[in-house]
Amino acid sequence: MTAAPARIRVWDLPTRIFHWTLAALVVFSFTTGKIGGGWMDWHLKSGYAILTLLLFRLAWGVVGSSTSRFSGFVRGPVAFYRYAGEIISKRPRAVIGHNPMGGWMVMVLLVILLVQAGSGLFSDDEIATQGPLAEKVSNAVVGKMSSFHHFNGWIIAAATGVHVLAVAYYWFGLKDNLVKPMWNGWRTVDAGVAQPPMRAGWLAAVLLALAAAAVYWLVVVYPKG
Amino acid sequence: MKKSAIAALALLVAAAPALSQNVKPENQIKFRRAAYTIMNLNFSSLDAMVENKKPFNKDEAVRNADIVSLLSSIPKSYFGEGTDKDTRAKPEIWKNRADFDAKMDKMVSEAGKLPAVARSGDTAALKKQVNDVNEACKACHDEYRVKQQ
Repeated sequence: MTAAPARIRVWDLPTRIFHWTLAALVVFSFTTGKIGGGWMDWHLKSGYAILTLLLFRLAWGVVGSSTSRFSGFVRGPVAFYRYAGEIISKRPRAVIGHNPMGGWMVMVLLVILLVQAGSGLFSDDEIATQGPLAEKVSNAVVGKMSSFHHFNGWIIAAATGVHVLAVAYYWFGLKDNLVKPMWNGWRTVDAGVAQPPMRAGWLAAVLLALAAAAVYWLVVVYPKG
Repeated sequence: MKKSAIAALALLVAAAPALSQNVKPENQIKFRRAAYTIMNLNFSSLDAMVENKKPFNKDEAVRNADIVSLLSSIPKSYFGEGTDKDTRAKPEIWKNRADFDAKMDKMVSEAGKLPAVARSGDTAALKKQVNDVNEACKACHDEYRVKQQ
């Protein structure tokens, strides 16, 4: 006889809001960037919002809930390959939080989004739109940043595709729905699995406000100086 | 001063088609770039005003609109044969000349509407027209211009 499964909270509210807001804004940014024209103004605003979210997530990865901390889910190559083997044999162990491969997907996405938002600040579309810091650097740098920004947009599209395909594989191939826990926070686990410690929401609110202030300074205050 | 500058531009525009036949490729590239550069400068100013990134100033908007409109017809005259070297203009321009010309004409016609809309002082209408010009510019850049190096 096995004990009844239990429900634990795996993702705190700040991490979930971060995830879905970021997902929506990334799609919005990609689309508005491709359409251009009058949407470029929104493309820039969306980029500032994404940069704010990313800065928050970096901080939350250090002081946030245990499942959101980098130290908890960024694993070495041994764990990575062992888990990859488990995936290939279709019997991955249950992991609370990011698994050893998913953790690296998170880091890759964070890094490519961060350099995307960063390069956008220095970009110029040579029609009517300039990033807020384009005037602060040489045109050689602006050209390189614009070129990279364009290219990296496709890298993000590809990485996002891999991420979505992996989640779809868990859902339909391994019958493990990862979307629902990212939506409502709860995951059903075997009895006896400990509830990971969660951080208070107010700390996340403070960090988000600090991130927003930093981005505001970077894109509004500093360029005028 | 402003008026004479615009008059000089108008002369340059009028002269452009006749001149281009005798202009060496290197200079054609130089002239079209010069026109694009000044268009970019004025169009960015116009865009910043309609997006409320800088205060709307009707006199400045009219001047920006006049310059963009006048200069918009210059580049077309300087995409002659042999002007595809040392430039970000793609060779496809000369392969799909009719499509390139149609996109160029679209930009010129949209830019040509800017001065009247700017003079009307209707900022909502100006915002829409600025966006239409922006899209007309982008249509060509996407297809016929190499991305920045």
